[in-house]
Amino acid sequence: MQFKFHIQRYDPSSDWAPRFERYLVELDPLATVLDGLHKIQEQQDGSLCFRRSCRSAICGSCAMYINGTHRLACKTIIKSLRTKNIKVGPLPRLTIIKDLAVDMGPFFEKVERIMPYLVANSSPPKGERPQSIEERRAINEMIDCIMCGACYSACPIVGLDKDYLGPAALTKAYRFVGDSRDEGAGERLSLVNNQHGVWRCHTIFNCQKVCPKSINPTWSIQQLKKRLTRRPSWVIFGRKG
Amino acid sequence: MYRPKTSDIWPPRYGLGMWAWLFQRISGLVLALYLIGHIWVISFSIAGQGGIRFDSVLETLQKPYVLALELLLFWAVLYHGLNGLRVILIDFGLGIREQHILFWTAMAVALALLSWGIIEAWPYITGTPLI
Repeated sequence: MQFKFHIQRYDPSSDWAPRFERYLVELDPLATVLDGLHKIQEQQDGSLCFRRSCRSAICGSCAMYINGTHRLACKTIIKSLRTKNIKVGPLPRLTIIKDLAVDMGPFFEKVERIMPYLVANSSPPKGERPQSIEERRAINEMIDCIMCGACYSACPIVGLDKDYLGPAALTKAYRFVGDSRDEGAGERLSLVNNQHGVWRCHTIFNCQKVCPKSINPTWSIQQLKKRLTRRPSWVIFGRKG
Repeated sequence: MYRPKTSDIWPPRYGLGMWAWLFQRISGLVLALYLIGHIWVISFSIAGQGGIRFDSVLETLQKPYVLALELLLFWAVLYHGLNGLRVILIDFGLGIREQHILFWTAMAVALALLSWGIIEAWPYITGTPLI
């Protein structure tokens, strides 16, 4: 079956602004959008630039703006789009490096800011740090995050406040705050307790709408807010924004 | 590197939460502007001698199109208030995963109250009762 791909192109060395280019591709309807991009790159235009790695919705490299919403190219079966016209663009609001590749630097820099690693002050027990099934279940959802940046790109607050940590970093923060083995909750909560942290969230739910792993970042952010409000008021208001 | 415009808040690209948020902002602005206008108009009514201005202001305010506009204002109050309650509940950590249900419940209550308002205001706007 023949499909028409409309792909947003941008070459920093020759273009002032992005433009769309059309490609006709012969594909199985059960192929993915990523398969289509590969075919274009291999057979029609070797200069097409995009990120991908695992092809199985685990690495989070190929988040793109496909037919009007944020999707993983590798997870989007062409048939499910119910059209022969496939419009592919880079993640909105992010700086475009070339074609479909965007600058994920600020995104990962913000994830790093919330200390995305297990903090354990106590000396390690023999073997491993155990966790019960129930304790693990509490953070199952947050652990599923593949950090593709779809939520970050869909959040209007990220567009309006460039310092806002964003849904992915805050979900990652709750992934550790809610982890029974973690001992860094106090410090991590202080890091998100400012006007560019949890309090910036306006509960617009775009993040939950676009997440390819069906995570609800708003829920995690509200859990962080809840923990913060349980602290004494001088701790909440004592920090500068 | 190309930096796209960052002010993309066009709700059809997103979902219900985005609509709810945008209308909350718009209704909030409408209410804030109304309050300024309200104080301004009322301040006229005490001007002039012997309450002449007061009577003319009240006459204008009772014209049918002003009453119809008041129904719009009523809708702005209902939307802002009831969706505001939904946002407060979400901020308390309640109903985050049921935000769609919360929204439509709030809108059902708002619509019920609005229809009551329309029934009450109808005779003053058209001269004949609706029911």
